[in-house]
Amino acid sequence: MTEPRTTADYLATGSQLAVVRDKLGATSPDDVEIFVIVSGDGRVTAFNGHVDLGTGIGTALGQIVAEELDVAFPRVTVVLGDTERTPNQGPTIASETIQISAKPLARAAATARAALLARAAERLAVPVSDLSITDGVVTPPVPDNRALSYGDLIGDDRIILRIDPEAPLKPVADYRVVGQKAARVDLPAKATGGLVYVHDVRVPDMLHGHVVRPPYAGVDVGDFVGTSLIGVDQSSIADLPGILAVVVIGDFIGIVAEREEQAARAAERLRVTWKPIPHLRDLTDIPTALRENPSTPRELSHRGDVEAVRAAVAQPMDRTYVWPYHLHGSIGPSCTVADFRADKLTLWSGTQNPHMLRADLAKLMGMDEGQIDIIRLQAAGCYGRNCADDVGGDAALLSRAVGRPVRVQLTREQETAWEPKGTAQLMEVRGGLDAAGDVASYDFSVRYPSNGAPLLASLLTGVIPPVPMVFTMGDRTAIPPYSYGALRATAHDMAPIVRASWLRGVSSMPNSFAHESWIDEAASVAKVDPIAYRLRYLHDPRAVDLVKAMADRVDWVPHTEPGTLGGEGDILRGRGFAYAVYVHGQFPGVPAAWSAWVADVEVNKTTGDVALTKITVGQDSGLMINPAGVQHQIHGNVIQSISRVLKEEVTFNQIAVETKEWGGYPMITFPEIPPIDVLMMDRQQEPPLGVGESASVPSAAAIANAIYDATGVRFRELPFTPERVRAGLEAAGITSPPAPMALPAPPPAKKRGLWAGLGLGLAGLVGIGTLALPIRSAMAPIAGPDPTLYSASTIARGKMLAALGDCAVCHTAEGGQPMAGGLPLETPFGTIFSTNLTPDVQTGIGTWSFDAFKRAMRQGIGQDGQHLYPVFPYDHFTKTTDEDLEAIYAYLMAQTPVVATIPANKLAFPMNIRPLMAGWNALYLKTGAYQPDPARSADWNRGAYLVEGLGHCSSCHTPRNALGAEIASQRYAGGVAEGWEAPALSSLSRAPIPWSEGELFTYLRTGFSPLHGPAAGPMAPVIHELQALPDSDLRAMAHYLASDLPPVSVEAEKVAIDTADARNAGAMLPSAGPGGRIFQGACAVCHAPTAPPLFGVKPNLAFNSNLQSASPDNLIRTILGGVPKPAVANLGPMPGFGPVLSDSQIADLVRFLRRQYAPGQPEWADLDKTISRLRATAFHAGP
Amino acid sequence: MRSVTLRVNGGQHALTLAEDTPLLFILRNDLGLNGPKYGCGLGECGACTVLVDDVAARACCLPVGLVEGREITTLEGLGTPEKPHPVQAAFIAEEGAQCGYCLNGMIMTVAALLARETQPSDATITEALRYNLCRCGAHVEILRAAKRAMQMMAP
Ligand code: FES
Ligand code: FES
Repeated sequence: MTEPRTTADYLATGSQLAVVRDKLGATSPDDVEIFVIVSGDGRVTAFNGHVDLGTGIGTALGQIVAEELDVAFPRVTVVLGDTERTPNQGPTIASETIQISAKPLARAAATARAALLARAAERLAVPVSDLSITDGVVTPPVPDNRALSYGDLIGDDRIILRIDPEAPLKPVADYRVVGQKAARVDLPAKATGGLVYVHDVRVPDMLHGHVVRPPYAGVDVGDFVGTSLIGVDQSSIADLPGILAVVVIGDFIGIVAEREEQAARAAERLRVTWKPIPHLRDLTDIPTALRENPSTPRELSHRGDVEAVRAAVAQPMDRTYVWPYHLHGSIGPSCTVADFRADKLTLWSGTQNPHMLRADLAKLMGMDEGQIDIIRLQAAGCYGRNCADDVGGDAALLSRAVGRPVRVQLTREQETAWEPKGTAQLMEVRGGLDAAGDVASYDFSVRYPSNGAPLLASLLTGVIPPVPMVFTMGDRTAIPPYSYGALRATAHDMAPIVRASWLRGVSSMPNSFAHESWIDEAASVAKVDPIAYRLRYLHDPRAVDLVKAMADRVDWVPHTEPGTLGGEGDILRGRGFAYAVYVHGQFPGVPAAWSAWVADVEVNKTTGDVALTKITVGQDSGLMINPAGVQHQIHGNVIQSISRVLKEEVTFNQIAVETKEWGGYPMITFPEIPPIDVLMMDRQQEPPLGVGESASVPSAAAIANAIYDATGVRFRELPFTPERVRAGLEAAGITSPPAPMALPAPPPAKKRGLWAGLGLGLAGLVGIGTLALPIRSAMAPIAGPDPTLYSASTIARGKMLAALGDCAVCHTAEGGQPMAGGLPLETPFGTIFSTNLTPDVQTGIGTWSFDAFKRAMRQGIGQDGQHLYPVFPYDHFTKTTDEDLEAIYAYLMAQTPVVATIPANKLAFPMNIRPLMAGWNALYLKTGAYQPDPARSADWNRGAYLVEGLGHCSSCHTPRNALGAEIASQRYAGGVAEGWEAPALSSLSRAPIPWSEGELFTYLRTGFSPLHGPAAGPMAPVIHELQALPDSDLRAMAHYLASDLPPVSVEAEKVAIDTADARNAGAMLPSAGPGGRIFQGACAVCHAPTAPPLFGVKPNLAFNSNLQSASPDNLIRTILGGVPKPAVANLGPMPGFGPVLSDSQIADLVRFLRRQYAPGQPEWADLDKTISRLRATAFHAGP
Repeated sequence: MRSVTLRVNGGQHALTLAEDTPLLFILRNDLGLNGPKYGCGLGECGACTVLVDDVAARACCLPVGLVEGREITTLEGLGTPEKPHPVQAAFIAEEGAQCGYCLNGMIMTVAALLARETQPSDATITEALRYNLCRCGAHVEILRAAKRAMQMMAP
């Protein structure tokens, strides 16, 4: 039997007892919402409109129902937030589920229990009061041994009852299920891959969609929203397979494809032009940005004459506290499957607010809510409003466009940039103390630019206008919990500056940061112990109990000034306290659990690093339904909030959100987790309180107060990064400023490409070329390849030699047939397309005789007598013996012919005059096969033959002159290949550990030297080809290349390794700065030698010559484009970070790497320019 | 497009696809496996972790062409609800997850760790998990689960 889908399906089912409530505004008796169903087979199903955000509320609700119905917990299934089946209980916000929506559920279960008992009493003819129930079986008093199960009592009946508000609830003393640890019901499936998250929904006929977002990432107010698209160039993805539709509506762009990677690739590649986007308010200065944002004051509380008292205080204390933008930071970017059919939209969604999303979709799609069915599935923990709803709008539009179900997966960068942020917040206190040190006046105001984040698809398509909308949610815990003399609290309600919506601890966490920091500051001014000072103003008995219990728990030592915990060396110790009650819901709101923190910290006064050594957290949650679950929640709140307080901050560029991935938004990692001691107050007799957020709320102030206690310096702006703390300590004179950094290097000499400078010199060649040599004669064509001519072994040898010569590297176009040519080679005098080397008689070399081939390889002259351009390295190939040339010829002619017409070269005059190359040849070409040096070993000569001939190593690794010829006197001093620096292989190499013969061999053989690094850039395909060569040849090459290098001393190598270890360790320090944090979050997993093994190699950056180079180009190119195709499979790939890191983030990262790994080298100058140049030449910016 | 044969959880799968396709998409979309999750596509979060020849790998940025002929194990291949792998059993017992989106990565990373080191120190465990992110803050329970798994698997 399939599971019932709708309320009607459920109610139509026989053999069950359902407890329902009339829907709001119901017009017929069938218009009901179900709360509990007891089935004839004894199973119980409970329904709740909220969703499990990963906090285990399904388990707790199941316990409540099991308790009130007297069944064992495993019998109960809980169905959460799903528009067709569950009651509309509003969005899952804050801590309301247990505190508010559990009540009708408990009452519904009690209604069912009472009804079943009444039936049993009648059947057994025993008064209800004499009956007892054990796991759904009703029994009369002993010795009567009759028994009736719920199933027996229901029989075949279909019973529908309204919730009885008077149904008796169990006294707490009788609880057997509630208050006990219940094993999480979801974990066995989650831990074995069986649970279907929204990301895992697959429906028949499903397609994959990706969206392309506008450049104003994360901004949703302003005329330009929905109106900035100029055009979409569909031809830019015309060559991609599997694309079914490109949907463009206003600024909404989506692509539907057969496969996910096809949609993803197309979204990356689609060329879109946008109008210029207006600048955003400067969010590097949050106080100014928020003060200037239009607002309306709303007085929340006013006691006494704040102004007058403030004017007369003995000790004025005006303070400003600043909260940054945070991410919800779900680990799984949002995803949805939508299925649009004629008059019905079905959505499989991870939304937090199914009923709200349904209304939004109705508007977007022009449908009735009744036509939309939202099936709610588990998503990644979101802790507020992320993109879960937005992606629903995207998927609905795409499904409608193609008439099939479409799954849309947002990318990490889309989720991060576009999720409605947890907003920045500004808290200002004007206050003061009287002469006795008591708080005389406290005038608090808050600015919270955040709202409900309207559905993005509706904004991008123009269905709703992008106008500022104000939500009044800045008032949570805006009134301090203390009974100050004169008090005023004002919320300056305002619309968002960037997309922002609720995030765990909504406005209360920042407000409490201010309240609890301020009272700590006041205590210090008044010279009173911070806890004692709070207790002066705290009168709520449960709050007082909690605060006192916490002081006992940590053996709090009363103190009136900072520094009492001392420290040693650079370390200063401190301990901070904070208390808060999270008030949620519509103002004045409902208090959730009380919470208090004691944070123990160690502040490093030189680096500014704040290490948490212990967090003690106490909570009064009232009745805890599942105490283990509550403890889990507290841990989660503590860890997430310390991450937010110490590390997290969204950054912006001039027009949009800059943060797009985790390197730029570091979250707490395992080694940073402090010991957490949880104190849970025993209040099982009290009503349950929300526990989902409370323990986050005191976090920031507790840590700020601890830092103050350690250092005597007050920090009023988050996050408490080492840079911020260090700067604060410096300003206070506690630590001295760092020694100045090395000066930037002079700008590097202008770069030359492989053929740069050629244009300059070519003018001179016009004379030489035309005068010196006439056009050469054509070679007679042959009829076609003769497969009988060469033996299989000759062909095999030719194949190997062709690999050494990298023929296929240049003569294969991207995605084309091997050796069929067509790869565009960029040169300063234009674009040259490589030729078709397959033996096709029309378009390839099928009619070339061996002599014609030999002349091309030796002299750079084609079959037709035309000169070839020396981008084809015939100046090296000329050294190849006749025998080897013949083998290569044999191999090429034995290939399957491919018809491939090569586009004409795009060269400008005079470079399009091929005879000029004759002049070049006259100057630089020494034709003829390699002549062995009798003074050298056979190995050396073999190596020289391979390296200098077909291997043509020096064509990249030797600098070239103005005419593009290798400079003989600077052999292997380093050159350029396809814009990459080909590092020096001579004694000029900057490798921290010089190359040795052994390492060269390892590198050539495996593509990776542990003491240098992997082959990347244009070297990767070279190594790939070299895999065809036997060890003996690679050893000979290594031997030859190393023969001019100085020997590597064991001691020098040891010193270099020790230095590298120290540099690597330093790179992982918390005080590594913004670039260092990007390294730690994005790079270290593969580059830190301490990181656990992962498929692929771990290139040690301390050994990498690119970081030592005069130019940052190779490093930047690798960061931008990654190494998508390693030379050898087991080296593993590197993803490109170009699409997700901004130019300034890459500059931070590169600057950090240079300082950290090449401290003796000057800083690279003009990084920003270099990065944008390289990005423009080679890589597209991401969405 | 070309044909690729993949060995996953002990089975053979012949597929025709572009070899630069991330392994993650193949596992999820072609083989219908839900264990490995998409989190970042950049190797930063660990949600997509699988084992390749018993070594952890981040499937989101691993072109499928690179793992041909190797043995790939996903969360599903580790164990089942009825017969969980000890690491899975330990995570269930210690409730080492909240939403569980990161759970695949945590379990696979711990399984890879315990496969190469039977008695890792606390510092080794935290270092091994450093590059696996969890937004829900389930770290305490995850570390307990890792230690329980270590004890369960002790030789
Ligand atoms: S999804 Fe692969 S590491 Fe994040
Ligand atoms: S449990 Fe939710 S991300 Fe880890």
